[in-house]
Amino acid sequence: MIATRVITAARTFAPRSRSFVPRPGLTRAILGALIGFAIGGGLAVELNAEPGQMLALVYVFGLLGFLTGVGAFRFWLTWAVGREIDASEEHAAHGRAGEWQRYFRFTTDHKVIGVQYLVTAFVLFFTAGTAAMFMRFELAQPGIATNKELYNTIMSTHGAMMITVALVSIVGGLGNYLVPIMIGARDMAFPKANALSYWMLPLAILLVAINPFLGGFDSGWTAYPPLSQQANLGQQAYLMAFITVGVSSILSAINFLVTVFRMRAPGMSLMRMPIFVWALTVTAALALIATSVVAAAFTMLLFDRLMGTAFFRASRGGDVILFQHLFWFYSHPAVYIMALPGLGAILEVVPVFARKPLFAYPLAVLSFISIGVMSFMVWAHHMFVSGMAEFFHIPIMLTTELISVPTGIVFLSALGTIWMGRIHFRVPMLWVFGFIWAFLIGGITGVFLADVPTDIALSDTAFVVAHFHYTIVGGTIFGLFAGTYYWFPKITGRMYSERLGKLHFWWFTLAFNATFIPMFWLGIEGMRRRVADYPAEFGPVNLFISFAAFNIALSVGVFAINMFRSWKSGPVAESNPWRAHTLEWQIASPPPIQNFDEIPTVSANPYQYGSPAATAAAEGGSAS
Amino acid sequence: MSPRRHLLTAGAVWVVLSILGIILVEQLQIMPVIASREAEIENRAFVILTAASVPVLLFVVVGLVYTALRFRASKESATDQMRDGPAIHGHLGTQAAWLIVSLVLVLGLFGYGALGLVEIRGAQTADFEVQVNAEQWAWHYKYANGVISSELHIPVDRRVHLILKSDDVIHSFWVPAFGVKQDVVPGHPTQIYTTATHSGTFPGMCAELCGLGHTGMTTTAIVSDQAALDAWLSQQQPPPSPEASGS
Repeated sequence: MIATRVITAARTFAPRSRSFVPRPGLTRAILGALIGFAIGGGLAVELNAEPGQMLALVYVFGLLGFLTGVGAFRFWLTWAVGREIDASEEHAAHGRAGEWQRYFRFTTDHKVIGVQYLVTAFVLFFTAGTAAMFMRFELAQPGIATNKELYNTIMSTHGAMMITVALVSIVGGLGNYLVPIMIGARDMAFPKANALSYWMLPLAILLVAINPFLGGFDSGWTAYPPLSQQANLGQQAYLMAFITVGVSSILSAINFLVTVFRMRAPGMSLMRMPIFVWALTVTAALALIATSVVAAAFTMLLFDRLMGTAFFRASRGGDVILFQHLFWFYSHPAVYIMALPGLGAILEVVPVFARKPLFAYPLAVLSFISIGVMSFMVWAHHMFVSGMAEFFHIPIMLTTELISVPTGIVFLSALGTIWMGRIHFRVPMLWVFGFIWAFLIGGITGVFLADVPTDIALSDTAFVVAHFHYTIVGGTIFGLFAGTYYWFPKITGRMYSERLGKLHFWWFTLAFNATFIPMFWLGIEGMRRRVADYPAEFGPVNLFISFAAFNIALSVGVFAINMFRSWKSGPVAESNPWRAHTLEWQIASPPPIQNFDEIPTVSANPYQYGSPAATAAAEGGSAS
Repeated sequence: MSPRRHLLTAGAVWVVLSILGIILVEQLQIMPVIASREAEIENRAFVILTAASVPVLLFVVVGLVYTALRFRASKESATDQMRDGPAIHGHLGTQAAWLIVSLVLVLGLFGYGALGLVEIRGAQTADFEVQVNAEQWAWHYKYANGVISSELHIPVDRRVHLILKSDDVIHSFWVPAFGVKQDVVPGHPTQIYTTATHSGTFPGMCAELCGLGHTGMTTTAIVSDQAALDAWLSQQQPPPSPEASGS
């Protein structure tokens, strides 16, 4: 053993620039992907494959080549052949502080991975937002301005991408960055698996982005068969990409759960964990349990398309409604996989800017857990008019109405905290107020969709579009913005511009409400969703909506400018500009590579505002 | 102001606004066209749910606005900027009341919804039957005497049974004025019942994304009295049956 150590240490100092093969990194990843494409393509030609089968082979080999090239498997492969890992290699994979290249490598530092996720999610958000602008351009006037096929493709792509944004932005971005620090750990439990879960995404996202060149897909993100069985190759691209995102999200869920349950600092009991960590823990449990179901459904669909099976082919004894059950059995919990991290971020911000303890913290934790459990029992409310078994409507209506009780606790906690507080209306707090309004509208309109008699009228209309934008933008995106502004000084070490932040908030919030409130009305009046054209009488309202929607895009431009400029040259931030009590604020901004020099000891939950002794307790074990 | 005064002021504003709001929405007809028994039930459900939403919506909004106005940290005083609020971690009574009220409200809405569902489905008997065939991207209606038409003809004030079939992809049959919507599923006929209460012509459409022509997959429902409908049915030529043409 000792001999090996000496040799590895000696190797560290050996010159390494002589290798002809590029170091693990993006160049080698792209090279690997190209080799993978060639192997997959060659195999497909050899096997005389159909275009769909060829796409599948090319993608699978390309993805493996990409991951191998980026260095995702090199540590595991080293172990597999029975060699020991070079400690300096492992150290190098963790990245050096202040080095920008680490963001483009297979870096195992959770903070780097968090930033990778966050930036990727925002790029995807801007792309999918541009797709939405295309849709609003087509819908601004009755009649067809562009073309129906393109509209369906863009609409489906917008949905697929935004769902991915909502799934990964807070969990992958803020979660990866903050959860280890908030529980007083030096990294996630499985840093290499963590990096792998990120690096599975770029190629999958690219595949969705290029689907228009593969003929597009017109089934929406829900991909109901038989429509998705007859659709183009673009459909298959989406299915494969979504399965990849699913695998990545299962991997990251395991990582979060093990980290939270095994790596908390001394004294950090479960009921002292920050509420954001609790939200992500429940989210991870949901993702772990539910995601494999949708991956299975999409795989069965792929088999139907590529290998001649008939799981969902009615003409050969398959069942098309089975797909909807499987799909929603994941996709309703997925709504909470999207919303819970947002709710967690919001409840984390509230006490800091109200200078009061989080109201009813134990009840809020309990409500997150109950939301998690109950979210598995409500899926069929997406199927009230689908032709599913008639007896199933009433129990599903009951569970759907009941889940609003734990969800309502979020409002109790938020209102109870701000009531009698000392409110500081900094940008993160503005997003909290915007969130409460938007999520409230989302919740109330949800009752109309949970009630079967009104749902019969509203299902598949613009009302549904407005409702889920209020819940998912309201829950996830408002939470994401609140969290991004709140933790921006911690992540970058610099302060964002308060003035631009306020402009972004007011512009976005007004434009968002102006876009989606009229859609409730349109839905009640009988305008369908997922259509490129509509009766002339809806013309003026749609023109107004398109105008408001373009304003959302402009306001997001303000956000992008603010983030970019402040990160580059904003004023240097203090380590704790908000005087917050959670652990991440007790270390330097940005945090050092190992987070803590000395692991802190925790003596109370982090919401001891108003009691001076407790503040000292929370800060007592800090690393500074 | 004492905590109690704050609660009383905000509470009073909430009660007054809620009463005004409920009076306002109670008068509304929410569904734009109501031409069937089912649409009447749905519109009533809309009104009840909207009325129930008013106090919930206002409770949160009044809380938010009141907080924003009254509980700001003062910008003038530097000590006030640094001071924390009261160390209140929770209030058992408030938490219990919140849980109980939301549970009762939700169960009430569920009970009302379940009754409405049973009422809207009604008895499984009908005076008139039509088979609705959906395909990419058109609707066809087949009547008992073999007549096939491209718009739906049904009698007024009669219970109508629609049997929905598709051989290609999922469609959804929707006539907004009747308050009926039902997916048409390949390999699995579905059905709905409706009773039109007004004569006239009403637009219908496919509500489930079914491909390129989905947007244009519209139809028309024509409601007339039984005599006019019978006259129309006997005028139409049923298509020649295969046996007749084969012999």
